[in-house]
Amino acid sequence: MDWINITNAAINGIVLGLLLALPALAVTLVFGIARFPHAAVGDYMTFGAYTAILVQSFMSASLVAAALIASAATAFLSLFFYAWVFRSLSQRSPVSSLIASIGVAFAVRSVITFFAGQSQYVIEAPLVRAWNFSGVRILPTDLYVAATAVLALAAVFFMLHFTAFGRRMRAVADNPELAAASGIRVREVMITLSVIVGAFCGLGGMLMGFKAVVLPELGWELILPIFASVILGGIGSPVGAVCGMILFGISQEIASLYVGASYKLVLAFVVLLLVLLIRPQGMFGKIIAVR
Amino acid sequence: MSLLTLSGVAGGYGDVDIVTGINMHVDAREIVTIAGTNGAGKSTLIKAVMGYLPRLSGRIEFDGHDLRSLSTEKRAGIGISYVPQVRNIFSTLTVLENLQVVEKVADSRKRIAEMFDMFPALASRRRTQAGNLSGGERQQLAFARALMSSPRLILLDEPSAALSPALTELVFAEVRKLPATGAAVLMVEQRARQALAFSDRGYILDSGKIVLTDTGSALLANEKMAELYLGSKPVEPVQAS
Repeated sequence: MDWINITNAAINGIVLGLLLALPALAVTLVFGIARFPHAAVGDYMTFGAYTAILVQSFMSASLVAAALIASAATAFLSLFFYAWVFRSLSQRSPVSSLIASIGVAFAVRSVITFFAGQSQYVIEAPLVRAWNFSGVRILPTDLYVAATAVLALAAVFFMLHFTAFGRRMRAVADNPELAAASGIRVREVMITLSVIVGAFCGLGGMLMGFKAVVLPELGWELILPIFASVILGGIGSPVGAVCGMILFGISQEIASLYVGASYKLVLAFVVLLLVLLIRPQGMFGKIIAVR
Repeated sequence: MSLLTLSGVAGGYGDVDIVTGINMHVDAREIVTIAGTNGAGKSTLIKAVMGYLPRLSGRIEFDGHDLRSLSTEKRAGIGISYVPQVRNIFSTLTVLENLQVVEKVADSRKRIAEMFDMFPALASRRRTQAGNLSGGERQQLAFARALMSSPRLILLDEPSAALSPALTELVFAEVRKLPATGAAVLMVEQRARQALAFSDRGYILDSGKIVLTDTGSALLANEKMAELYLGSKPVEPVQAS
């Protein structure tokens, strides 16, 4: 195995990691603020990918329009399920919300399957030739995907750390009771969180449509690698989620050179188990006591 | 008319009432201490006023508002501040962010400057993550956060909990200054003798009911009641001959 193949695999891994960092960040924000692992994130991605295909089929071939509408539609879907399901469960055990999110995931996937069937779809993108640097290949489409993901991630990090609303979100994540006693409208924060989760998953799903064929199981099959990366980075840490996902993407793509693409998912479980055994708090997480 | 009035308040977390038949009031700019044995329902009473109690009956009025119809954040918006016993700061935010995050502050920058004047130790640590502050600094930050919105009532849940005697003195000195800022104080305190010594009035709670109320000095003068509910007198230091 020469270094060129490894470099190409690493580049693929970085791109994959960056685009999956969008739903990974959504998972970690939900865990940090609403305090449950949101298992419907993958299927929100699938919804975003199908929305983009619908937009391309019936409205506009523009990728920007498809990305914007996919993000907006998935944000609306996420908001709908917050208002209908998760809001009323917020005072109960996180397990209730987790189970409900699995139910939501099944519901979204079933509705997509009902209307779209099991046929494979692709998101239409202009065919471009890869740039070749002595064997190291970079697809311009991959650069656009990575740049879009980086811009979206940067926007959320800016919002979290440099705006009043971001401060409120971090305050609610830190101590929801004290946040309410400080006059912060916790429900408003949760509504915005739902919109961000939906928009990121919609965008992530649409970008994933460039890299893979779109099927109803697209997002569901990604949920374990996403959870594994969130744990790898440190649950509840936004920086950790992004770094964890990139590291996971690179290791998965390089490992596939040695163990074959079919076993890539196995690596997700191995990483998850190893991290849980060796460093339960992950790369950027803190050890927390559970009462 | 009193600033805060509780009439026939009862409530708790599960099926059983932790507090029952509570009638009490707090007037503007006075310090009122709730004392009593462990498990008497002192903190529950404070939480009832702030809106954290899931089950509650009776009437709680603050400056003409029926508090039971208001959420916790709305109670904060009409001038009630709360300093919990534990986790009373946002430990992952910086000192400055802990103050900036408070809502309903007319001129946040000016008010933060006033808070740093009032608590100079915090000014030099404004960029420090609050979780890295010492115990005394944390308590000062908790007070500063509570004062940011210029409240008319501050609820303090055991402000001296887990503090050394020296730090307790410092914290009580800060509490004594609060009425001068325009705020009344309703405080739950285990070190009740020390707290009643500077309180205008006090309520003694036992098994969820008020068993005695009087001025702070009168409660301390009632030796039998003080022995029962306020614990032994602190041992006087022995003078060297």
